[in-house]
Amino acid sequence: MPRRLAIFLRRMAVVVAMVIAFFPIFWLFSTSVKPYDEWAAWPPVWISDHPTLQNYRIVFFPKAARAFAAKQSGSLDYKVSGSAWKAFEDSAIISTCATFLSILFGTLAAFSIVRFRTGGPNYAFQFLTVRMMPPIAVVVPIVALFSMLRLADTYFGMILAYTAFTLPFSIWMIRSFIEEAPQELEGAAMIHGMGQMEAFIKVTLPLVKGGILATALFIFILNWSEFLFALVLTSGNVVTVTLQVANYVSASSGKLYGVQAAMGAISTLPVILFGYIIQRHLVRGLTFGAVKR
Amino acid sequence: MIETEARDGAGGVHAAGALHVEAEPVGRSGLLARLGIPFNVALVLPAQLTIMVVVVVPTLIVLWLAVTDWQPTQDLAWWQAQFIWFWNFNDLWYDQRFINALIRTVFVVGVCIGVELSLALALALLFVEEWWWKRLAVSVIILPMMVVPVDAANAFFMLFNDRGPINHMITVLIGRPFTFSWLSDPTWAMLPIMLCEIWQWTPLMFLMVLTGMMALPQNQVRAAVALGASPVRIFRRIVLPLLMPVIGIAVLIRSIETFKIFDPVYILTRGQPGGATETISMYMYNGAFVYFRMGYIAAAALIVLVLVLSICIALSKPLKRHT
Amino acid sequence: MKRLFNGIGPSRRDVLKAGATGLAGFAMSPLLGRGAHAEQWALKNIHETAAAKAKELAGSRNVSLKIMQPSGSLGNVKPVGDLWTKATGIPVHYLEVPLGEINQKVLLEAVSKSGSFDLALPATFGIPDLAESGILVNLDKYAQKYEPTDYQKDVLYTIGDYYKGSLYGYQTDGDTYLMFYNKDWLDNADEQKGFSDKHGYALKVPDTWEQLDAMMEWFHRPDKGMYGGALFRTQYFIAWEWWGRFHAKGFYPLADDLTPQINNDAGIAALEELIAASKFLYPGARTNGLFENFEAFGKGDKFADIGWGGTQKFLNSDKSKIKGRLAFGDMPGGMVNGELLRTPYFNWGWNYVVSSVSPDPEIAYLFSLFACSPVMSTIAVRDPGGYFDPIRGIHYKDPQIQKTYTEEFLVAHKHSMINSIPDFYLKGQGEYFDELRVNIAAADAGTKTAKAALDDCAASWERITRRMGKRSQSVQWHFLKANYPAGIRDRLK
Repeated sequence: MPRRLAIFLRRMAVVVAMVIAFFPIFWLFSTSVKPYDEWAAWPPVWISDHPTLQNYRIVFFPKAARAFAAKQSGSLDYKVSGSAWKAFEDSAIISTCATFLSILFGTLAAFSIVRFRTGGPNYAFQFLTVRMMPPIAVVVPIVALFSMLRLADTYFGMILAYTAFTLPFSIWMIRSFIEEAPQELEGAAMIHGMGQMEAFIKVTLPLVKGGILATALFIFILNWSEFLFALVLTSGNVVTVTLQVANYVSASSGKLYGVQAAMGAISTLPVILFGYIIQRHLVRGLTFGAVKR
Repeated sequence: MIETEARDGAGGVHAAGALHVEAEPVGRSGLLARLGIPFNVALVLPAQLTIMVVVVVPTLIVLWLAVTDWQPTQDLAWWQAQFIWFWNFNDLWYDQRFINALIRTVFVVGVCIGVELSLALALALLFVEEWWWKRLAVSVIILPMMVVPVDAANAFFMLFNDRGPINHMITVLIGRPFTFSWLSDPTWAMLPIMLCEIWQWTPLMFLMVLTGMMALPQNQVRAAVALGASPVRIFRRIVLPLLMPVIGIAVLIRSIETFKIFDPVYILTRGQPGGATETISMYMYNGAFVYFRMGYIAAAALIVLVLVLSICIALSKPLKRHT
Repeated sequence: MKRLFNGIGPSRRDVLKAGATGLAGFAMSPLLGRGAHAEQWALKNIHETAAAKAKELAGSRNVSLKIMQPSGSLGNVKPVGDLWTKATGIPVHYLEVPLGEINQKVLLEAVSKSGSFDLALPATFGIPDLAESGILVNLDKYAQKYEPTDYQKDVLYTIGDYYKGSLYGYQTDGDTYLMFYNKDWLDNADEQKGFSDKHGYALKVPDTWEQLDAMMEWFHRPDKGMYGGALFRTQYFIAWEWWGRFHAKGFYPLADDLTPQINNDAGIAALEELIAASKFLYPGARTNGLFENFEAFGKGDKFADIGWGGTQKFLNSDKSKIKGRLAFGDMPGGMVNGELLRTPYFNWGWNYVVSSVSPDPEIAYLFSLFACSPVMSTIAVRDPGGYFDPIRGIHYKDPQIQKTYTEEFLVAHKHSMINSIPDFYLKGQGEYFDELRVNIAAADAGTKTAKAALDDCAASWERITRRMGKRSQSVQWHFLKANYPAGIRDRLK
């Protein structure tokens, strides 16, 4: 086979892969601007001829959406109790706090494990087992436990749960970053009179702060995307973006595709953004620090 | 159980014992010393305690619940639940729905991991060489990994709608109207779910393989290219064997995560029609939060926990040797 | 014709009182003396008195009410909530949960006791499970204090409000399951002649399932683009149709000793007829959900459809091609002992319930009394985008409601409501019905024979009953049986 043709075919294969990767996301964004009669039309509408912002209005500005629907007949007038701002707020609060705690506790623990070999060689492995169990297995007793501790459907309860389940990532990832930092610098600082902790904070931490930041963004992504705990541990007082999408279902029309697409499109943007920022560290994160560049 | 070894800056190791670190911030060591908690232990305490409360204590509660018939719908607190010995386990043994869910989940893991790995390797093959828009290509291909799983699942719901683009494309292809309702068909409903999972996580496998490839000694690859070997041969003979450890880790970790699959199943089918797409997580969710038979599901959870942990530990031993 | 539908027939209260056969203790005691103290509270301004009382109870405390409502119902709930806040100064907060999950969420509250809501609007068939779990406040004591004697008199369906003789929540939505027919086809003289020649009786709104099936067969001409019916064959809906067909043959689903009767000859026949009728349905019957069904029937190329008030809202809108060309009827009945037995079916509904974790259950109850009062419930039902359908007699006279549904429909709706048989209001309703659904769908798909499907289902039902507690189920079953509509319960075995 002539070399140029072979190369061309290989490039085409890559393009096909790119198209497949992009297609569902394209569909999500495309549907988010479709008016209501195009959501399930046949043949399906690939790119709308009458794009509308009504779906986004319903998600963020329900009052404006209602007014628009009253003026423009044929527009979807769907009554939702609140806008999705609450969901974004709640998700932001919970994700940020849980990420912060996870990084804080994780850094302290990673430091201890790396520098002091706390708990012996297999201690860190214990944290990994947390990720091995299907969360649904612990969710039932967590519901019982949280109700006893009055943590059900509270911010603190969710933050606690999220922190616990992301600790394995933070400990292992930060551990791998600390291990990469040269220990001699710390040693030198200690010889000059600093305590171990102080040496760590003043010398090593600045070296790994890029890695810790990447870990933080990674864990934020995990928290933001989390669904099962949010589904089971909340009953309306706390709402996350992953749950809010499920509210756009009506008794007569079933799933409101356009509105769900709008909500999905916006709620996935932070994840896409952060994901690209920490692109280099994604593999390290998702393999618990085992695979690094 | 907790040993401590103090290291001094020069890398030597002192004997174990109470921590001797000079110039500690006084307040901290004072309190801790009085409580008898070594400093390094105090550092892991926050993490450890969080795990205790959220994971360990609930697991102990599961042990209790698994031998009761707790149904919160009977207006009983969980500690008042009726003790029924091992009847839950007996019922689970005969529960076809539970067994099916387990088998189905193993099947899903096998298929998804197999396809993901194959696709990832095939893609990686295309990335052995360099070309000017290679980085752009990588960025686009890894986009699925960075979508909230629930939103990806919703997107797939719309794609596989009987009036959606997938059916449209098939219609165009075969020339006849094709409006098959994928998600209502007991035989085929699993396909969109698996495709969603594969779509979302093949990029990760791909990225892992790519990362592994970057870490390979480049001179071997360059020599082979210079000698005129095709990318396929280079891949099979040089790259693949060296990638085995990375692939092993990737397969292990993705298998664990795929076993837990929940979001796509919940969004796309809820385990319907008639339990035909019920994976083990969906089965436990339905049992616990739709039928509220929490004692029974706790027993199921215990079985699953033991199964998963033992397989993981068995499989990770050979892998730990590699890393 | 019209005179029959002006009155309401025996009041629900009378029915409940009369229906105290079986465990009289349970059925009777909460009803004796109910309303004895509330004589001074007149029905026509009950909303004002309830609001005033709530304001008084709240006093200077910082009280607020949190209502958990199914997604999309805000249009029915918020206008009433706003008026409440205006009258009492008590703010109302709305917690929205997906409508397919609200029952689960309320039940979860029995475990988590988070106090996230004071009132909720679960689907009626979930009330037995909710009541047994302890999450619902037994409202008898408040009803005794505040409910006017004739409060429920005008409400056309109240069976789901009570469990084992006690009140747990007032109904808000008239979800009776009724039939829609293509009037043009029905009135067509040639069709009428051809049909009556073939079958020996007139082509009109069918009285029995046999007649409906025959008519659907008659009109099923797919080559000409005409279809017999737009009924449902999806797993979720199929059990409802069977439930109607089965009752129309004159049997209760359970015998007095709780042995299932669903797999008797009548049950098997009902299932076989349902499967036979599947041939005359449109192609989307096995996959289409509710909205697709509206659209499909709205095209005007099918003879019969089954649905609720919400169906009519669509069919009477500009999106439907069949607007104004519809005939309506009860769900068909059957011939039992030579006489026609009609068994319309009320298969959904939403009730205002009070959470036992609420710090102000009395005020919450007063809200439900307020919201379901004649004046306020009319406001709720009026919302054209929401899903509450007419439930009180006075709703049928409201001009706005008449405009949304058409008077002709309302006549049929009211008739269907008055005689509706209840759903299977027992603890574990979901499990019982899921067994029915899976087995009936399997029979319809051909993977099981009708007999095997129903036998399997009956066996599962026995297991479920044992797990739920036979004695407890028996109490409720006898209460429920006694509250089947008067004209029907004597004719079912």
